[in-house]
Amino acid sequence: MIETRFATATLPTSGALALLVVEGGGLSALHAAADQASGGALTRAAEAAGFIGTKGQTCVVLGGESLPRIVLIGLGKSAEHTLRGMEEAGGAATSALARHENGALAVDGMPASHAAHAALGAHLRSYRFDRYRTKEPADDKPKLATLTILTDDVPGAEAAYTPLAAVLHGTNVSRDLVSEPPNVLYPAEMATRCQALTELGLTVEVLEPAELEKQGWGALMAVAQGSVREARVVVMQWKGAPDGANPSPLAFIGKGVTFDTGGISIKPAPGMEDMKWDMAGAGTVIGLMAALAGRKAKVNAVGIVGLVENMPSGTAMRPGDVIRSLSGQTIEVQNTDAEGRLVLADLLWYAQDRFTPRFSVDLATLTGAIIVALGHEHAGLFCNEEELATRLLAVGETTGEKLWRMPLGKAYDKLIRSDIADMKNIGGRPGGSIIGAQFVQRFVRGPWAHLDIAGTAWATKDAPTTPKGATAFGVRLLDRLVAEHYEP
Amino acid sequence: MIKIRFVRTSAAPLRAVPLTAGAVPPRPQRAAVAGFTGAVGQVTELVGRTRRLLLLGMGDGTDFEAAGALAVARVPGVAHMALDARCLWPDAAAALALGACLRAWRFDRLRTQPDLRAPCLTRLDVLVTDRDAAEAAWAPVHAVLQGVWFARDLVTEPGNILTPQGFATRLARLEREGVQIEILGAAQLATEGFGALLAVGAASVHPPCLAVLRWRGEGDGPPVVFVGKGVTFDTGGVCIKPGAGMWDMRADMAGAAACAGAMLTLALRRVATPVIAVLPLVENAIGASAYRPGDVLCSHSGRTIEVVDTDAEGRLILADALSWAVTHLKPTALIDLATLTGSIVTALGHERAGLFGDGPLGDALMDAGDAVGERLWRMPIAAEHKDAIQSDIADLRHCSTGKSQPDACIAAAFLREFVGAVPWAHLDIAGMELREEGAWYDPDRHGLGATGYGVRLLDQFIRGRA
Repeated sequence: MIETRFATATLPTSGALALLVVEGGGLSALHAAADQASGGALTRAAEAAGFIGTKGQTCVVLGGESLPRIVLIGLGKSAEHTLRGMEEAGGAATSALARHENGALAVDGMPASHAAHAALGAHLRSYRFDRYRTKEPADDKPKLATLTILTDDVPGAEAAYTPLAAVLHGTNVSRDLVSEPPNVLYPAEMATRCQALTELGLTVEVLEPAELEKQGWGALMAVAQGSVREARVVVMQWKGAPDGANPSPLAFIGKGVTFDTGGISIKPAPGMEDMKWDMAGAGTVIGLMAALAGRKAKVNAVGIVGLVENMPSGTAMRPGDVIRSLSGQTIEVQNTDAEGRLVLADLLWYAQDRFTPRFSVDLATLTGAIIVALGHEHAGLFCNEEELATRLLAVGETTGEKLWRMPLGKAYDKLIRSDIADMKNIGGRPGGSIIGAQFVQRFVRGPWAHLDIAGTAWATKDAPTTPKGATAFGVRLLDRLVAEHYEP
Repeated sequence: MIKIRFVRTSAAPLRAVPLTAGAVPPRPQRAAVAGFTGAVGQVTELVGRTRRLLLLGMGDGTDFEAAGALAVARVPGVAHMALDARCLWPDAAAALALGACLRAWRFDRLRTQPDLRAPCLTRLDVLVTDRDAAEAAWAPVHAVLQGVWFARDLVTEPGNILTPQGFATRLARLEREGVQIEILGAAQLATEGFGALLAVGAASVHPPCLAVLRWRGEGDGPPVVFVGKGVTFDTGGVCIKPGAGMWDMRADMAGAAACAGAMLTLALRRVATPVIAVLPLVENAIGASAYRPGDVLCSHSGRTIEVVDTDAEGRLILADALSWAVTHLKPTALIDLATLTGSIVTALGHERAGLFGDGPLGDALMDAGDAVGERLWRMPIAAEHKDAIQSDIADLRHCSTGKSQPDACIAAAFLREFVGAVPWAHLDIAGMELREEGAWYDPDRHGLGATGYGVRLLDQFIRGRA
């Protein structure tokens, strides 16, 4: 973890410095000062490198003794100059300053909110999961320990950063969970980690198998029955709504398959290790609840995650089994590897039954088909209410956790008709993610959105604010959704 | 062919009557005994001494096309049918007839024995009170019907008969309606630099060609240009497809067929809008002269393309056709249709085609699709998709390597490179060209086989511009 502090914008006398450059804009005061101090070296270097401040462009200048390294980071034209852009610039700064113990990022001449988001981006990029490395050479580790954000408004930036620090914490909670290997992070362990969040003021309940059986969670328990690791359902409540505000909670539901072998319909070996992150939906919900509680969001929210391991064994569910879900609807299991939707079915029903939420948003690494449809930049959004869909699409753009709307409809729903039960859990390859969503929709009453994050939960290469690995996709998106539309 | 007449009386042995829920049917007592309520999709047949009466339930709906289709679907053995439209507005009467005729389409040119399972409707009498009004409403609908039929025939014809030249020959039908046809042969394509199209066609004994279909319309404004993928048979080339299901690839020219069908409809309707269709026609065969994965082609645009997969040939021929169209035709709008990727089928199934293209053109196409029931869904071209077509050795590569690629989006990103600043939309219609047995289709509404998807959509789009 790097330490961030905000300090008055004066030219530092040691360490490394990152300067932000607006394409077609003038130099900031600190930039001009640094240029002067270096005898015009910055301007000459930028010219020589063809650096004009295009978004994402960087230019490294090796300076003298007092400032060994200066990095110019392009912000793009001022119109592109959003808070998200500041986060990306902050991330680029972390990456460029990684070899120096002390770094500074100049955001002078910009509002305090921009400074705060630059700090957030810097932190988001600096995340590392190195708990299991015992022999990493010191040279391979990033050295950056302190990042000083140089701003004209220190108190303003600090105030703006406080809620973002909570979102950052939630993001990292999520990333840690998703990164953990499946022998370490199984349902009971994941539930224990949720209980640790009571420190933030969350009420955390853990439902164990006996209780789940008694209540009739037949779909979720069918997935769990093949593993020696017992299922857990965790209900996390945050009550932050002020008096007079709408007390009905927002519900966030996460698929938490801590490892997915596919069950009896077992997956092929190549790439199966990726299935440790088949709990990323739950990881996001847990991180989101940590973020909302951490920043004391003025809203009531409930996060519910279904934690199971999908294993093939003598006790595992079989293709052909008919199971009875918590809703009472029966499901013919035709493929045990379409297990996520079974978990979501019971979770959604429970959430609506118990909490009558204003909306339910579920997140799940549900289908490979969504990757073939959209790739890794957008998650699939399925939604039964226009206002909710519009809001989600908009906050996706502002946070950079982008969504693409996908269709629902009767023609897709009829593909899950079963000959023996109320529905079957697969409907063929064509329209695979839509069919998954249609299945889930059979358990929905009220406004609902389903985010298929199979393509976005895990990154195979670095992005400006997301090092490769667990992305925590959805934490910042949904935190922003709540902040913009559901808090007074 | 079905002979369609609008008449006051008919001697047809079967009369079908569409009825909304609660409407009083003919022979009300017998209908009540038979349990007819008018629920949507309900069909009750009352057999008299000399005639049969078919009651068609429509529920609370106004889907007259569905009602017409229902009649044919339930009594496919009837050669001469009357549809009772005497209580309907002329537009509804035309929709009823259209639905019946679309459902009654069959392709028996290659049979020597009659197909007893296919609808055998040859005479359709539509009972109306005002023949003039009904026929006036029917004329444009009949144009649509002929366009769809034409496209379906093309899609159905097998690869050994419908070669690139075979396809070009069939365009004579359009010439009779005033469409000007120009065929650029292989030699001319070489002169003009169609490097990508010629590479795809290199292994076939049937050389490729480019068909240009011009409808002048009225006025000298810039045309709307359609571009349709016309791979008359797609083996996959050196990256050969698996044997199972390869026969379907005779329909890999459905984009070109839709454009040709739409041109026929527009010509029959004598539309004012100038429209041009550009159809690259080619067979993707396998042979000693085939192009290879790894080849670098010089496309019509001048840009070089690294070939990654010879089975991603559609985007190569479209690249050349789009580039030629942009250069020579100066379109006001450019729309391409192609059975392009399996990825779009995984994404959207058989219910909607993928629409790439934003702005007013995309909106207009979405609206047109909704209006005629040939539905679209918007798909993205994101930064990652553009990144996927960067080549190590050429200007572009035409697809990405590896499994589970968002290939429909990547293909769209590739095509976008060839359209310049022209307003452009790409319709990936893979999965929409044929209906096969399965849960996707309601057999009361649609028969199996070629759909003619795209003809009505394009026709409706042109209506919207008028």
